[in-house]
Amino acid sequence: MNPSNPPQAAEYGGDEVSAIVLDTGYSTVRAGFAGEDSPKSVIPTCYGKYHFDGKDKLVFGDDLIVTPRVGVSIHNPIGKDGIVEDWDMAEKVWEYSFTSRLTSAKSSNPLHNGLNDIPVDELPTEMEVENDEKPLVDSPLLMSEPAWNPGKAREKTIEIAMEKWDTPAFYLARNGVLAAFASGKATALVIDIGAANISITPVHDGMVLKRGVQHSPLGGDYVSSQIRALFKKNSPQPITITPHYLIDSKTHVEAGQPPQATYRTFPADTAPDASFRALQEERVLTEFKECVVQTWPGPNKLSAAGPNGVPNEENARSYPGKPFEFPDGYNQVFGVDRYRVVESLFDVKAAIPDPDSPVPAPTQAQTLPELIKTAIANVDVDIRPHLLGNVVVTGASSLLFGFTERLNHELMSLFPGPRVRVSAAGHTSERRFGSWIGGSILASLGTFHQMWISKKEYEEHGANIVEKRCK
Amino acid sequence: MAAAADVRDMLDLPAESQPRPHKKQKVVEKRPEGITRELYALLGERAPPIAINENKYKGRPKLLNKLRVRPWRMSPFTNGARSDGLVLNHWQRKHEGTRQPAPEGTQMDVDETKEEGTEETKPLEQEYAFAKYNVKAQLPRRYTDDEYNRHLRNNEWSREETDYLMDLVTEYDLRWVIIADRYEYQPRMDSVPDANAIVPAKQVRTMEHMKARYYFVAATMLAIEHPPSEMSEAEFEWHEKMLKFDPNRERDRKELAALQLNRTADEVREEAMLLEELKRITSNEQSFISERRELYSRLEVPISVGNTAMYQSSQGLSQLLQTLLQADKSKKRRSILGPDGAVASPAGQTPTQTGSTGRGETPSANAAATAAAPNNNNNNNNNNKKGAPAAQPQQVVRQLTAAEEARYGVQHHERVTAGVQFRSDRAQKLTQAKSNVQTQKLASALAELEIPVRLFMPTERVCKDFEKLIQSVNVLLEARKVAEKVESEIRILEASKAERERKAREAAGETSGKDPENTEVKAETDDTAGVLSATAEAAPSGDAADEEKKDGEGDETTKEDGNHKRSASVLSGVSDKSNKRQRR
Repeated sequence: MNPSNPPQAAEYGGDEVSAIVLDTGYSTVRAGFAGEDSPKSVIPTCYGKYHFDGKDKLVFGDDLIVTPRVGVSIHNPIGKDGIVEDWDMAEKVWEYSFTSRLTSAKSSNPLHNGLNDIPVDELPTEMEVENDEKPLVDSPLLMSEPAWNPGKAREKTIEIAMEKWDTPAFYLARNGVLAAFASGKATALVIDIGAANISITPVHDGMVLKRGVQHSPLGGDYVSSQIRALFKKNSPQPITITPHYLIDSKTHVEAGQPPQATYRTFPADTAPDASFRALQEERVLTEFKECVVQTWPGPNKLSAAGPNGVPNEENARSYPGKPFEFPDGYNQVFGVDRYRVVESLFDVKAAIPDPDSPVPAPTQAQTLPELIKTAIANVDVDIRPHLLGNVVVTGASSLLFGFTERLNHELMSLFPGPRVRVSAAGHTSERRFGSWIGGSILASLGTFHQMWISKKEYEEHGANIVEKRCK
Repeated sequence: MAAAADVRDMLDLPAESQPRPHKKQKVVEKRPEGITRELYALLGERAPPIAINENKYKGRPKLLNKLRVRPWRMSPFTNGARSDGLVLNHWQRKHEGTRQPAPEGTQMDVDETKEEGTEETKPLEQEYAFAKYNVKAQLPRRYTDDEYNRHLRNNEWSREETDYLMDLVTEYDLRWVIIADRYEYQPRMDSVPDANAIVPAKQVRTMEHMKARYYFVAATMLAIEHPPSEMSEAEFEWHEKMLKFDPNRERDRKELAALQLNRTADEVREEAMLLEELKRITSNEQSFISERRELYSRLEVPISVGNTAMYQSSQGLSQLLQTLLQADKSKKRRSILGPDGAVASPAGQTPTQTGSTGRGETPSANAAATAAAPNNNNNNNNNNKKGAPAAQPQQVVRQLTAAEEARYGVQHHERVTAGVQFRSDRAQKLTQAKSNVQTQKLASALAELEIPVRLFMPTERVCKDFEKLIQSVNVLLEARKVAEKVESEIRILEASKAERERKAREAAGETSGKDPENTEVKAETDDTAGVLSATAEAAPSGDAADEEKKDGEGDETTKEDGNHKRSASVLSGVSDKSNKRQRR
């Protein structure tokens, strides 16, 4: 194929208008240009606040993970249910996500950018004009939202995009729909396992079926709380998580032996806030989840008997354990316990109880099978088989080892009649950024450009237009 | 090299003095690209098998280099599908937007700045390529107030709610799943006085309700626009379909669909099993039907009605056979002549004969049968074929008397075994006993009686007599064997008795008893007890009593026991064999 010829627009229906796609979540904000295959800018949603030189300072992005600044405290503008609580800060975080990587340092025409011959006196005025510009003045913006986002929040979002960022065109899409698009489906049952929430979104013809939408807080953070509960009850000794920034040096110890590390200490007045430590501990737990935690792949629950009559726990025990070394050098091999921390996503009785945990114990209705059952029961019977034949799994927490396999088994046992087909992207980034990729596809489609809410329409109809147009 | 020389010898070629150094050197000269001559020389004669490739930028294909670069530029466009004239920018080939492409040759990159101004407006005029995909569902015209009041009044649906439904239908392009999902009608409290408002507020509209209402409205509007008599065919069909919508039936269907969807695993399994069963049954039925058809077609053997004179000669007969064979082949079914030997000896066959013809008959009888065959076929008498009744669809079967049956060798089998057997074979089989020794004995007995092992003329009667003879020979042989056995036992027992008596005499002579020896003997007898009990069945009770008495000579006793045992097993084996034979 001749590389100098552009692909015919009809071949893929694409027409890129350099739109920016902003996929907001509880844990991370993903931003990038539409038409690309992964977001260019992925930053944590939380931000750090600290006092320096008599002034309150804010820190965004990956910076806050690295440095334990004096008295820094971590906040998240988004509530546990995925709805924005602190609009001012949410705006700042989101703005940082695209200005830091995508829209800053705009490149102008090489004939005018001062690198070539240009009158010296014109330069400063031009620079000033650019500085006054709002960040998104020439990029349409596609944003994502959870399917249960209230109308007020949607209106507030378009307000920010139109008035603060001055985007020429805006659209607000449900992240479930976008995830379905990312796997090439217009009708799908999207199972999104996020950090704070798991959500089931039935999508029909590119539109959310509101009555079927279900969500519960048993996401990645819940798994973390289960891991903490497990660590408290650990058999040789309870494990305390010491994050990396508190470790000065460590020495190698045998498995199960108490750690031998020298710790860094901070004086009380300069020490970071407890929330900073919680964030850092979460990083360790994330690593633990990636390396050790497994989902019992099924069939049947971990507590039940397998197909050949042997209890599944016995089977799980027979698999070799997985070692993990904590930042302080403590290390241990985790056996069957590594299955238990995820099991309560499917089986509420398997939850590891922890009365001290701030996370409330799950209820039966919050487990994944129940959510799916309710979601399916709330949509029309005619499309149920279609939904079950197009189950899309997305969200970073669905990358837990063996998760999709287990989900498949659970669905099979819930709905033995219809054909169940789970499609989960094999590539890690496709799973993590599922809804962003869907947004990238959507915003670069030629047929989509009639859907944008333009600045003119916004000014005509007000913020309410988002309810009418982004259905 | 030796192999090459051999080949040369064989082909008488002159011996080669100079093998092929020239060629080789040529190859060496040709060094791969991207490696210097000096470096290549260092590699020696046998370069390692490594691909030496230089990483080189390939650049554009030469063909493309000749073409002029066609620049892209960010150009604004409006979308015809939008009402607000939103201007977005996208990358476009520089001249694609313009209607008349400027002559290529004159264009240079330097001109770019000049052209920008002129092109700025042109792409805007062109219609946006994706605007054509903006299609809406075709919906009937919206009713007016007057029309609503006259045709569409309904107790269950207020005007407002109907409007709301029609709006939703338009908005979601008749996607009923979504319409039903988004349907949230709240009756306006201010417009309707309190009493009326409560009833519709509590109501939950199902998709069927909505569909029924919408279809009613749409059909009515269609009929208002065109009376049914003036409708086009498509419109009429549409109208009919909408009028015939039955919400109750639709609801029932959905209930059934839900039931079907919510089957338990057991039900699913059962259904799968039943389906499998059904498939099996239908396929069985198919094969049964085809088998039956084949059977029927086989039974429909043509009955000859014409003159049979032409079949009187053997030539005529073979001709008949040929035609029948051909007909057989063309029908593509199994030969009616059967698989056995019919084709090999066509002269002796008639169409009605089965494969079992002529089994064991003497050649002369066979010849007689052949001569008689044409007549048989015609006159239905003289039936001297064995097994003929099995497949002969002849009208009248003459009953033969016993004498005639004997004369013609007609037999009635209760059970006809498949395949052909020769009587001589069967007779031969009788002479083969299980053991070689026995066979030899039988053979010698037959030799003594001057009967050949292979019968000269194994007719039915001869075979029967032969069988009897063999049986009695067998009985005799067994009797002889038993007699021999008993004799030998008697001999042994007598010998042991004599021994015992001799011992007793000696013991009486020697007063002192030898204790250690006695105990040893006892132990040995204990050991043998198991064996003894095993043989007890066969051995006469007297023997057992005798053995209890005996002392000493352990070795001999055990040996004796072995003999006993063997004889017992042989006895039982023989009886088994004879039983079997009798059964046969």
